Amino acid sequence: MTSEQKRTLALYYCQNVPASGERERQDLEEKYGRGIRLFTVPCSGRLEPIHLLLALEEFADVVFIITCPEGVCRYSEGNKRAKKRVEKTRAIIASIGLEVERIGMIIGSKENPISLADHARAAMERTLKLPPSPVHN
Amino acid sequence: MITGEQKPIDEIREMIAPYKRILVLGCASCVAECAAGGEKETAMLASTLRMAAKMKGEDVLIEEKTLDRQCVRDFVILLDDIIEKYDAVLSLGCGAGVQAVAEMFTEVPIIPAINTEFLGETRDQGYWVESCLGCGDCMLHHFGGICPVARCSKQLLNGPCGGSMDGRCEINPDVKCAWHLIVDRLTKFGALDRLENIYPPKDWSRKQGGGPRKIVREDQQK
Repeated sequence: MTSEQKRTLALYYCQNVPASGERERQDLEEKYGRGIRLFTVPCSGRLEPIHLLLALEEFADVVFIITCPEGVCRYSEGNKRAKKRVEKTRAIIASIGLEVERIGMIIGSKENPISLADHARAAMERTLKLPPSPVHN
Repeated sequence: MITGEQKPIDEIREMIAPYKRILVLGCASCVAECAAGGEKETAMLASTLRMAAKMKGEDVLIEEKTLDRQCVRDFVILLDDIIEKYDAVLSLGCGAGVQAVAEMFTEVPIIPAINTEFLGETRDQGYWVESCLGCGDCMLHHFGGICPVARCSKQLLNGPCGGSMDGRCEINPDVKCAWHLIVDRLTKFGALDRLENIYPPKDWSRKQGGGPRKIVREDQQK
């Protein structure tokens, strides 16, 4: 078991993130095994706090959202909405004493597009800096 | 609609602390429109409370359900089949909803999870404003459809007070001066002369003077 597998990361990502097709998703699942759960969404603006809360409640130590870069959302402002919902959800988990770092957000870069795999690596590194979630332990 | 805001989690947890089997009960009407107690918010609160309980090692059952309307008995009766499973109901309905459920199920404590705020309108996404006090004696036709009782900080029936600046209330500049709006609107209608009338003090006995108000309509009854 690798160190990554000791935590579970729920990774929600906009389908417009570079190199985020089915093949790349399968590669990531193979690499991280049970340490990662991947959820592609048509737009990060579709995500609601309940999606993030249920992931934290049911299986995840950390939840990350990867959005497309600001200004290039196909639906105009989906990534802006996602940002507000992340803030709202962080406030909720803070109110019960859970670290706000358990909900992360990565905004893609227009100038330097980064692949899903690289985003996932960065999110996993930040996940491993946190102890296992007290919700599951 | 009736607006409300969820109480702080600490307060809610303190209220439900004595109970082990809790139904978090949402309402899909007014409080859903103001994003305080609809299906989504009910699921969020239930999930949050379950997580908090797990973190503290508390052995509790927390489930959720949302009724179309908590203030209408025809919907509340739908709890009949499941309510025995719980030893408390945490309601995200308005004060009327909480009491309607409490009146039907007298054996189970019904705990309010939201603070009922005011009768208002949805002005924009995520923005609700008070527009009616439910005074029982509507005078909107005199004032161009703008209520000086609900929207003037001084509740003046014979305004304006003269203190507004740039159309903003002198008490709270975030608020548009209701009387400024009334004058603008009556000017548009060519009805500014209505303001020459002197309106006597309002008869507040029609609001709460006789205790809880009720409306009885025989034509609507069985």
